[in-house]
Amino acid sequence: MSTLSTNITADAESPLPTVLVVEDEVLIRLVIADYLRECGYRVHEAVNAEEAVAILQSPEVSVHVVFSDVEMPGSMDGFGLARWVRSNKPGTEVILTSGAERSADIAATLCEAGPLLKKPYPSKDVVDRIKQLTFKARRS
Amino acid sequence: MSAASVTVLPRRTPPTILVAEVDVRVRCLVSDELRGSGFKVLEAGSSQETLTVIDAVRVDLLFIALDLPGAQSGLETAHLAGARQKPMRIIVASADGEIDPGGLGPLVRKPYPASQVVGLVMSSLNWPEPA
Repeated sequence: MSTLSTNITADAESPLPTVLVVEDEVLIRLVIADYLRECGYRVHEAVNAEEAVAILQSPEVSVHVVFSDVEMPGSMDGFGLARWVRSNKPGTEVILTSGAERSADIAATLCEAGPLLKKPYPSKDVVDRIKQLTFKARRS
Repeated sequence: MSAASVTVLPRRTPPTILVAEVDVRVRCLVSDELRGSGFKVLEAGSSQETLTVIDAVRVDLLFIALDLPGAQSGLETAHLAGARQKPMRIIVASADGEIDPGGLGPLVRKPYPASQVVGLVMSSLNWPEPA
């Protein structure tokens, strides 16, 4: 077992982070949010980037990881949301996902986790990515 | 099947609630409160999302705000959802306390405390069942 996976396992005893799932396709959002809750995460849901910003600005809600689609209706897409998070919530990690072929370089400048998580993605990959991000955040 | 052959088994899984509300902060708070009480909660932010979920997932209770955006009004959406999925309880929320939900189910007047919704959902579904 690698050092990283050993530490992630040990770190699992800490409270799991809160994840904000941003996805305009309701059935995809439902499935991934449900899976993350089954894994023990506290999950909030947003239909688009505007809703995500409203939740992130809400004093009652604390979000550690934003998991967002790139292509969304409205004035802000996933890249715009990632830029907003970076500017306004610097402690919050971002994972972007896309079904379209987009530049991984753009995503890498916005997401600590690097390239886009390409749709369709296995639900477990999302959990692994969240664990990597929160582990890195706790170390830094 | 005769009525005598029907056996009602105790519910092993928590009921599924669909919260249909356009205001994301309200939707988030109500959904969180319901999850905290043990319900499985799905969320929809428009009439289209509500009907998509209703067509795909078994829902025990629909909590729907009548100011939902979309091609159908909130009231039309509630009626359509009720017709597509039976049996399903419905609770409607509206800022207009005079509105007639037309036999859909109880009306909660906006703004409402999330705890009021939880209490109403519990009594509508009789869940958790008394020991």
